Amino acid sequence: MNVTAARPADNPTGRKAFRPWRSRANLSAWTLSAPAVLFIAVLFVYPLLDVVVISFTDPTLSLVHYREFFSSPLYSRVLGNTFWFAFMVTVICLLLGYPLAYVIVRYGGTLGFALLLVVAMSFWTSFLVRTYSWLVILGSKGPVTKLLAWVGFDPVPQILFNSFATTLGMVHILIPYMILSIYAAMQKIDPNHLRAAASLGATPFQGFRTVFFPLSLPGVVNGCTLVFIICLGFYVTPVLLGGPRDQMIAGLIGEQIEELLEWGFASAMAVVLLATTMALLAVYNRLVGLDKLWG
Amino acid sequence: MNLLRAIAIAIGAFIAAPMFIVIPMSLSDSPSFAFPPTGYWLGYYRAYFTNELWTTPTINSAIIATATMFVTMALVVPASFALVRFRFPGRGLVNFLLMMPLMVPHIVLALGYYAVFSPVGLTNNHIGVIIAHTCVSVPVAFLIVSATLKGFDRNLERAAMSSGAGPLRTFLHVTLPVLRPGFLVASLFAFLHSFDETVIAIFIAGRDASTLPRKMYESVRLEADPVLAVVSSLLFTLVLIGTAIAAVTRKRPVHAT
Repeated sequence: MNVTAARPADNPTGRKAFRPWRSRANLSAWTLSAPAVLFIAVLFVYPLLDVVVISFTDPTLSLVHYREFFSSPLYSRVLGNTFWFAFMVTVICLLLGYPLAYVIVRYGGTLGFALLLVVAMSFWTSFLVRTYSWLVILGSKGPVTKLLAWVGFDPVPQILFNSFATTLGMVHILIPYMILSIYAAMQKIDPNHLRAAASLGATPFQGFRTVFFPLSLPGVVNGCTLVFIICLGFYVTPVLLGGPRDQMIAGLIGEQIEELLEWGFASAMAVVLLATTMALLAVYNRLVGLDKLWG
Repeated sequence: MNLLRAIAIAIGAFIAAPMFIVIPMSLSDSPSFAFPPTGYWLGYYRAYFTNELWTTPTINSAIIATATMFVTMALVVPASFALVRFRFPGRGLVNFLLMMPLMVPHIVLALGYYAVFSPVGLTNNHIGVIIAHTCVSVPVAFLIVSATLKGFDRNLERAAMSSGAGPLRTFLHVTLPVLRPGFLVASLFAFLHSFDETVIAIFIAGRDASTLPRKMYESVRLEADPVLAVVSSLLFTLVLIGTAIAAVTRKRPVHAT
């Protein structure tokens, strides 16, 4: 429609053009979105704000919980642990996930399809089920312990309830996110690009390095962001597979509420976790655009 | 390259093997987590289906997930129409609000719900869990419904209108039937999202509204109940059936990103 023609005399810039049908459309849009907006605002945003408020006011208005969290070496170790685990799990997921996604996309066929099915199956299987499997596999009566005893370890080293078990379990649980993100990006790559590279004299490896790999990077960035962020706030698996020394921030928050009823301190840690997650997502939004993360 | 193929198969085995282990475990006669099992029986299956400590959480999970699915869809469908079809002041904010639950770690939410719900009696209560699960399911359903809506050809509606159908008739006979598959997928995701949700349920569901994941978590943490293997293998079997159906009907497995 011709905006200029509808421009009222008192608005020469035309930035807010007078469009009578607009206000009715706005009204419909607002009415349609109102239930969802109200629901989320009251029943989601309000509890979050409450956490922020509690962190500053329980028991009295102060920054005492934040000071305690950032000054105690015990808590800095938990924070350090959290980032270290998230980093390790992300790197291992990437190292294992990239070749798998590559084979699924480039080799295809029965093998590619079967691998994709396995990844989808893992994605849909409750992470509690998968955590339980690792308890069995790594447990004192499990196959790995038996194998180690057979090889000659005496006494057999404890492989459950430590950082190794936590890392392994989290990699297993989060690797489908990495693979599916990379797979989605790789699938969009036109194979003709690689043919063009080959026809210009590139070896298969050169073609991969200069053409395929750069084009798959958006999927890598997506997968790493997703895995890292889920890892930072992961509660169940580290609690069940890790030992007391491998505690991560989510586990510490849970412990503070369930066992110690330290609301103020738990809330302060929750705010730190929330702020970290939001900051990472803001960077991602700046560089890539948030709408692409779950695309 | 055969090496790459071998590596991929090894990684695939690493992903698949731990899931399949739950099936022999569920048939084991040992009360502890011994693998391979020392003998086989079906006793723990009977224990699962007859023990109220397991059946009640299963029923609770089904009720909560079903209610979550309906509430989520009732909120998400109109909002998606607004966001896809209109450009209005505040659109960016509405979009951000609907996506926000996906960005917040569940432990933070669990804390917030615990603090806000316990004074008003919404902890230890189905309604409280349904509310919390609806909030975390909204972004998931919204992504799917709005993607479906964006792919809808509005000329179909224009054709119906120009042939004399009113807005309601057009919606019921043209818009809805075309969008139905997308709506069904979104409903399924909302249902499963609630059915799988663990952390919030651990903190706010209490004894009375305890969900299956909560019960599973407690059983790992406190008692190492062998019935856990039965629940795990039943859940895994459902996934196997779902994947098989998806593989056969679509030639391409369903997955979320």
